[in-house]
Amino acid sequence: MPITMMFAADILGVKYGRYLRDHRILVEAQVKTAEMFVLDYVSVISSSSEAADLGARLQWYDDQPSAVIEEGALFADKANFARVKAPELISGGLMGDRVRAVELLRQRVGKDLLVEGWVEGPCASAADLRGISRLMMDFSDDPGFVHDLFDFTLEVAIRFASSQIHSGADIVGVGDAAASLVGPRIYKEFVWPWEKKLVDAIHAEGGRVRLHICGNTRRILGGIGELGCDLVDVDFPVPLEQARSQMGPLQTLTGNLDPVRDLRSGSPESITQSLEALRQKAGARWIVAAGCEVVRDTPHDNLRAMTKFAQTHATESLPA
Amino acid sequence: MTQSKELYDAVLNGDARKAHAATQAAIEAGTGPMTLITESMVPAMDEVGRLFEAEEYFVPELLLSGRAMKSAMELLRPLMVASGEKLSVRVVIGTVKGDLHDIGKNLVASMLEGSGFEVVDLGTDVSPEKFVATVEEQKPHIVCLSALLTVTMPAMKTTIDALETAGVRTRVKVLVGGAPVTMQYAKEIGADGYSETASGAIALVRQIVAGA
Repeated sequence: MPITMMFAADILGVKYGRYLRDHRILVEAQVKTAEMFVLDYVSVISSSSEAADLGARLQWYDDQPSAVIEEGALFADKANFARVKAPELISGGLMGDRVRAVELLRQRVGKDLLVEGWVEGPCASAADLRGISRLMMDFSDDPGFVHDLFDFTLEVAIRFASSQIHSGADIVGVGDAAASLVGPRIYKEFVWPWEKKLVDAIHAEGGRVRLHICGNTRRILGGIGELGCDLVDVDFPVPLEQARSQMGPLQTLTGNLDPVRDLRSGSPESITQSLEALRQKAGARWIVAAGCEVVRDTPHDNLRAMTKFAQTHATESLPA
Repeated sequence: MTQSKELYDAVLNGDARKAHAATQAAIEAGTGPMTLITESMVPAMDEVGRLFEAEEYFVPELLLSGRAMKSAMELLRPLMVASGEKLSVRVVIGTVKGDLHDIGKNLVASMLEGSGFEVVDLGTDVSPEKFVATVEEQKPHIVCLSALLTVTMPAMKTTIDALETAGVRTRVKVLVGGAPVTMQYAKEIGADGYSETASGAIALVRQIVAGA
């Protein structure tokens, strides 16, 4: 299940700025990429939809991801927090556009492929709204505010996830990248309880959960393994055998080629070798992917080598 | 050794208020700014870096220690200007044009400052022209370029080329870093060094200074 965003936009030959804001383009790009590389799924993954709709200032670019302007973060001034409410219905804005993307993907792929929705996790969304550096210091300066902020971002995530499930998503990806910046103490107190509520809420709505935390999560693997996610993405800085030993044999793991060194800069032969090594470490319940997004200038034959490996070894990754 | 244990502990524990108070007390007791930096703050930030490498400290702890160190520097900087004292090595740092991501750059800047280097932080989305102008005006020894996106990595090369065109490339060492950047890429674009981590960047700067 390789994550494709800018790569998919390039496959369709459209600027990524348009891909981010127009569900019809996203859908065409995802379907075309899945067809070209024989992928098992399509996804509406993108970032900062929630922050944009809530009123955060974003810098938009023609052909690269948008970025939240940290200096002007929506809740840089805590007083603004009291004035903003979570949207009751996810119908307009970028979140509404993503929901329509789920609907259209479902129509396009029928039951042939898995359709993945996407929400920002409570910590990542809080970082977008408060500014990541401020949030990192709030854990120490104002724990009560962080709890309130995470309640808010959780509520937004649950409503957004629910809309996507009801529009046809089989699984919801939860991207909580900012969580990889904290240690086990902060993760346990501030992040885990809200991630757990989100996982439980998605399950209650009938969806499955894929947790994606970019970066080095080695010190919080134990907690991640207790969330009850259906899939856990493991980024490349984490040894896959460590993820397996800490999360146990029943956790399905996804990953974890290095997207740049292995997948972009490697060759089909080296990729096959790296995947074989990962297979030994992962054991059963393993889904082949890069640790994070397939970067845009990845040679097509390299990605094909990855999907070919997955198809060749498909039955071996299933539990006995 | 005339270490202020209070200042050392305050920086290590990321307590800005205590760092400010300990610095004030040390100044009133007659300790010079350079002594406080070299004997208390640099060792504290070294320990912070060690704990980060050992995965006992994480980004929140690094940022808190950086903030504590800055609160001490606010008191020391005017005294240094008045007495004509200067930190020996100046480093210019910024995220390259088109890229707004700054947490990695901030961590490196903070740790450099805490390691006793003078840091000129140009922020994010910094144009090659701005880097060139700053090198001409501030005459740094080292320029650090950060990029988080593969699409903004080429701006590192553009910046190095601009330094070359302006005739100032040989005056500075250029270091690069950021999630998608690799040693191979650093070599390809003609950078003088690359680090995968913030603490590695500090070690690299020290290595360059020691070899200068």
